[in-house]
Amino acid sequence: MILVIGGGPAGLAAAVAIARNGQEVTILDSAPRAGGQYWRHRTRVDGYKSEKSAMYLQEVAQNPLIHFISGANVWSASRVKDGFAINYLVSGNELTVTAQKLILATGAFDRSLPFAGWDLPGVMTPGAAQSLLKGHGVLAGRRVIVAGTGPFLLPVATGIAAAGGTVVGLYEAQSPLRWALSPVALLLNPSKFAELLYYAKQVRKYRIRIQFGKGVTAFDTHSAVVSRLSSDLEVVAGSEEKIECDVVAVGWGFTPDVTLGGILGCAQKVDLDGTVIFNVDQNQRSSQKDIWIAGEATGIGGSDLALVEGEIAGLDCVGIGISPSLAFRKIRKTLFARALQKSYPVGNGWKKWSRNTTKICRCEEVSLQDIADSVTDLGAFDSRTAKLFTRAGMGLCQGRICSRNVSEIVAGLQGCQVSDNERIGYSNRPIATPISLGELSDGKSTK
Amino acid sequence: MWFDLQDDVGDSFELEAKGGVVVARSDDSALMALADSQRLHGVTAQKVDSGELHSLEPYLHPDLHSGVFYPQDAQCQPMLAAAHILRTVIARGGAVISHAQVKKILSHDGVLHSISTTQGDFRAPIVINAAGTWAGEIAALAGSHLPIAPRKGFILVTEPTQHYIFHKVYDSDYVANVASSDADLQTSTVVEGTRSGTILIGASRERIGFDGSMNYDIVRTLAAQATSLFPVLRDVNLLRVYRGFRPYAPDHLPVVGEDAEIKGLWHSAGHEGAGIGLAPGSAELITQLITGKTTFMDPAAFAPARFARVSI
Repeated sequence: MILVIGGGPAGLAAAVAIARNGQEVTILDSAPRAGGQYWRHRTRVDGYKSEKSAMYLQEVAQNPLIHFISGANVWSASRVKDGFAINYLVSGNELTVTAQKLILATGAFDRSLPFAGWDLPGVMTPGAAQSLLKGHGVLAGRRVIVAGTGPFLLPVATGIAAAGGTVVGLYEAQSPLRWALSPVALLLNPSKFAELLYYAKQVRKYRIRIQFGKGVTAFDTHSAVVSRLSSDLEVVAGSEEKIECDVVAVGWGFTPDVTLGGILGCAQKVDLDGTVIFNVDQNQRSSQKDIWIAGEATGIGGSDLALVEGEIAGLDCVGIGISPSLAFRKIRKTLFARALQKSYPVGNGWKKWSRNTTKICRCEEVSLQDIADSVTDLGAFDSRTAKLFTRAGMGLCQGRICSRNVSEIVAGLQGCQVSDNERIGYSNRPIATPISLGELSDGKSTK
Repeated sequence: MWFDLQDDVGDSFELEAKGGVVVARSDDSALMALADSQRLHGVTAQKVDSGELHSLEPYLHPDLHSGVFYPQDAQCQPMLAAAHILRTVIARGGAVISHAQVKKILSHDGVLHSISTTQGDFRAPIVINAAGTWAGEIAALAGSHLPIAPRKGFILVTEPTQHYIFHKVYDSDYVANVASSDADLQTSTVVEGTRSGTILIGASRERIGFDGSMNYDIVRTLAAQATSLFPVLRDVNLLRVYRGFRPYAPDHLPVVGEDAEIKGLWHSAGHEGAGIGLAPGSAELITQLITGKTTFMDPAAFAPARFARVSI
């Protein structure tokens, strides 16, 4: 059997490609419905080209060869005799599925940067604001600021406005002129102009004020401090202004979720943007036999690239050759993904947005001062040693949110760069999602 | 000795004499015999009946009826302890050279001369090998021989919970397994809470070399054993799993003393899972041996010479 883990664009495209070639495929996804984070349609609020996602969602729902298991949180995976055993939780019960071939399409989660007040209620990621809206039909707040960097801010801001929220401001930290660095990528992806035009119209329709080169650098209940930022995210002195709002949705790009592939031993590397991704070949094969990886986990690139990669993985998995036109589409979309990374870099200026008391690790409440002390007093020299001394990254999220920030802070204090080994180290964990000891005790051995 | 160290270094590593409870499963005669012999050696070991056991650990499974209480059993946060001890060493004029991998150990006519590391060469008449699981490799670099092997272990760490576990609680199998020389996997529970609210569950033991791979069956076994001691833990989430390699000597005793072949090379290694607990004692002993003072206990059982090469 072929198993796809992740029901976002990459996973759905893989499953559709497999089913269209007459083979059965099962998709496991943690959400209640297919679509992943980006295609989480439920309400009247749809994004650009929603008919494309509707096509995939409809085929997944109707093709009898595609089985969709929703609400499934995979907590571990291992290689067993002739295949893989995937252990997952569905509403409190542990189940195991075995498969001969695996396609991992585990996606990514928002990257957050710490700033004074970021641990207060009212601060969330754009992804969280969007999932509240699309998953539950709930507006994050009445007066919302959307800020950070990257094109994902646009659908989040227009979605909030379309649902009746007031977008007080949309602050994109980088200048749109940075796109001039990537003329070839733009020329090869003319469809992106249409998408931009669509959002430009939405922005005008809802009278959203977009400001470039600015970002939220502090928050207090009912107000945010918005500052002018350099391209390295340093605050321009004296530029701070206080803006009334209930909620700030702030995101600084994405972090690929590499946990499962890491557990299964798939080789990883560090991407240009400092995220850890998988090494795959042109057909999306990982370093491990019978495991393909598609979508954000092979490099942040957005849904268009994820669709192409998913399709390639699905086709290769059932032994169908990749057509030159599909291969060329992957090259075009990959170039665009590189251009995205160049256009929306995240420099290290954010380290000065925190006060000494600001919690860098919110789960374990470890402050900037605690981390600095672990370096200067106790000799911590990387995020791992800082974690052992301060507990930063040991909490419920297991460092998914803070470990990269802790490693950058520790490296900064020592005047060095974070090594690739350290990045791969903090991006991996043996337990993919918390599981109760009772469920573990009742589960069967997979040998 | 740990409390003396705390007086010396400062109250900085969560040291706490919380006491340990060994719980008997069914037949408790072996456990009681062990407790009797420990008492002869000066360890406080109190036999507890069902009522006492459940007042020590109210969340323990109601079917468990007897055990032994060790009020002296203590706990600390070992990473913080190591960091604060190193800090004290530096404050007293010692030098700490980190990221220094030992490449060569030179000796002339059986007398240690110097060591070469990735951070430079050091001339020293006395070198103490405290390289843990890798102590055997250090001895080999010096041309000597020390049979320290890795004994792999998993420890489960839960999410922070309310206070369910008040002491270190051992399954009585634990004592037997530690002393076992079987290379196969053994799992026996030891459960304890930490100051941060998490619960630690150990411990598996297997001798499979430096194989760092994950084994979810061991994770399940440890969880099942812990929840059979404390049913209340069934609803507590597992957050992470540690893997590590204990330095294991064939006779389960530490190696503390001067090398049998190279004069000037001293070993303090092979403490298996008890290295943290025994660290101040081992340090005291090796210091007394090196400085020629009267030792606080007989060091003969720990002599490296007991593993002298068998001549062919």
